[in-house]
Amino acid sequence: MIIRRPRSRPYALRGGVVAGLAALAIGGAGVAQAAPAPTHRPWAAQPLVVLLGDHVARRSPNAGAGGIEAVAARRPLTRVRTVLPVLGSRGPHDAWLRVRLPGRPNGHTGWISADRTRSTSTPWEIVVSLSRRDVVVFRAGRVVREFAAIVGKPSTPTPRASFFVEEALRLAPGAAGGPFALATSARSDVFQEFEGGPGQIALHGTRNLSGSLGTAASHGCVRLAPHAIAWLASRIGAGVPLSIE
Amino acid sequence: MSNHLDFTRGRAALIGIAACLAFAAIPIGFAQAAPVNPATTKPFVVLSGAGVENTGPSVLNGDLGVSPGTSLVGFGAPATVNGAIHENDGVAAQAQADLTTAYNVASGQAVSPGNELTGQNLGGLTLTPGTYGFSSSAELTGQLTLDAQGDPDAEFVFVIGTTLVTESASSVILTNGASPCNVYWKVGSSATFGTTTAFEGNVLALESISVNNGVTVLGRLLARNGEVTLINDVLTAPQCSVGSGSGGEAGSGTATTTVTPAGTSPVPAAKKKKGTPTTVKAKTGGGTATIVHGPVGAGGVNVGVRGKRIKKVTITVNGARVGGHPRTVRVPTTPGVHHVVAHVVFEGSTKPKTVRYTFRIPTPVLHPRQGPSQFTG
Repeated sequence: MIIRRPRSRPYALRGGVVAGLAALAIGGAGVAQAAPAPTHRPWAAQPLVVLLGDHVARRSPNAGAGGIEAVAARRPLTRVRTVLPVLGSRGPHDAWLRVRLPGRPNGHTGWISADRTRSTSTPWEIVVSLSRRDVVVFRAGRVVREFAAIVGKPSTPTPRASFFVEEALRLAPGAAGGPFALATSARSDVFQEFEGGPGQIALHGTRNLSGSLGTAASHGCVRLAPHAIAWLASRIGAGVPLSIE
Repeated sequence: MSNHLDFTRGRAALIGIAACLAFAAIPIGFAQAAPVNPATTKPFVVLSGAGVENTGPSVLNGDLGVSPGTSLVGFGAPATVNGAIHENDGVAAQAQADLTTAYNVASGQAVSPGNELTGQNLGGLTLTPGTYGFSSSAELTGQLTLDAQGDPDAEFVFVIGTTLVTESASSVILTNGASPCNVYWKVGSSATFGTTTAFEGNVLALESISVNNGVTVLGRLLARNGEVTLINDVLTAPQCSVGSGSGGEAGSGTATTTVTPAGTSPVPAAKKKKGTPTTVKAKTGGGTATIVHGPVGAGGVNVGVRGKRIKKVTITVNGARVGGHPRTVRVPTTPGVHHVVAHVVFEGSTKPKTVRYTFRIPTPVLHPRQGPSQFTG
């Protein structure tokens, strides 16, 4: 497996610099001593399920269980098929799948029927460190990229939990946060609505926005340099797990 | 007048004698089958007119389709479809149209009297290329061997009036270059496969196809009007290239152990690493081993070993040993470099050899759709 190192600096050095900046607490609340980012994570291909039709997420794996919410077959922004991380299965022939669900409450899960779904998997994983203010990209458990980021400021923090990428999208040239965005399943704990959306947290670019990388200055989203979000958007698709720590 | 009659009778007699001589000279299977063209059904491993229902962790290496029906049931986890799914779309509709054409061509095959097998069980037979007929049902109990006699383009067509039924643990074996691409089973009503049947060829059924538990198929299950039902089966569409001039398909090689599924989301061809041997020939003992691979698809690539006098093969994939000594393994095509190493032990005096296959899967480049910026910022 090829390990792609960051183009700019060796990972360890960059992590150290970011940690140092974090320790200086530039542009945000005081940050505790940030541990260096891991270079490996325990890895097994993350199972995913592609919804081929609308589903109802239930509290337990049976058709009579109470419904949590409806899960549409397509995502609202780009109409791509909904792809959810699979956390477990139950029933004869794994007829029920425990999946992570988009939206509030953050990180919630539910059970959907395996009917009208298709299984797949991904080797990718994204980890956002609020303390280091960076984004580390893993493939098959190994670091392939690390990017400095702007994370939520103390009054509008980026929520911590396990999430996933709902959909990737290209933004118009004049749009805030261009050139790309990874819309995630996370929602702001502060904003119930923002710019016409549901307070959705995204990883996006810095175009037409202010702020310096490595600071805590956003409204909750994770901002990345344009080249960084472009790199991500060309590789990361729907369903990829996202951990905000 | 009488002379003319005598001449006519004499000519008829000569023709009759010639015909008798011809029949006497034709061994079973000599009559070559006319070509059947699967056309756009090629990518499909299962195609149904009414619906497809699966139970359990079946694996489909190839496309899955239904048209004009719309029912596809049981293809979420734990089932795996390593191919595209066409749910009553234009692709499936065209494939159904081509299936009808192929079915009709197969139905119209001339069956020589020597190839009329009505009432015979296919089990235990060894057949050479040609068209074989059953005026009613056909049964397979045990092993059927199809011998291409070294011709990879050889075609076998079975024209069955009503049903095709295989008993449990039956098998179809292809030898001497026979390819599952060129084996067609025209079934006049429905086909039923008994548990753990190992079947090869393309089934063109007018009605339904029922596949019981644990069946493996190297071929295609194509039902014009009825349903296809599966239970914990492994189905693989063979890799078939377009044949030259026949309208049919060329064989995918002489290896019967190398399964080459049709990839449906191809990525750039795998590149062999410079200097890695893929073929070894021993100086003594006559043992040979070649590592071969199928097309690189979205779900993986099948890599196998074929050769002569092979006794045992031990394969490691990316450093992990594969248990059970299979001769073909499926390697996931996740981005990165993959190493397949096969240690081959031969019968007789040939010393063990190691063959390797290394390939790289580039990271696919995504192109997200445009959407609104309505995030928290």
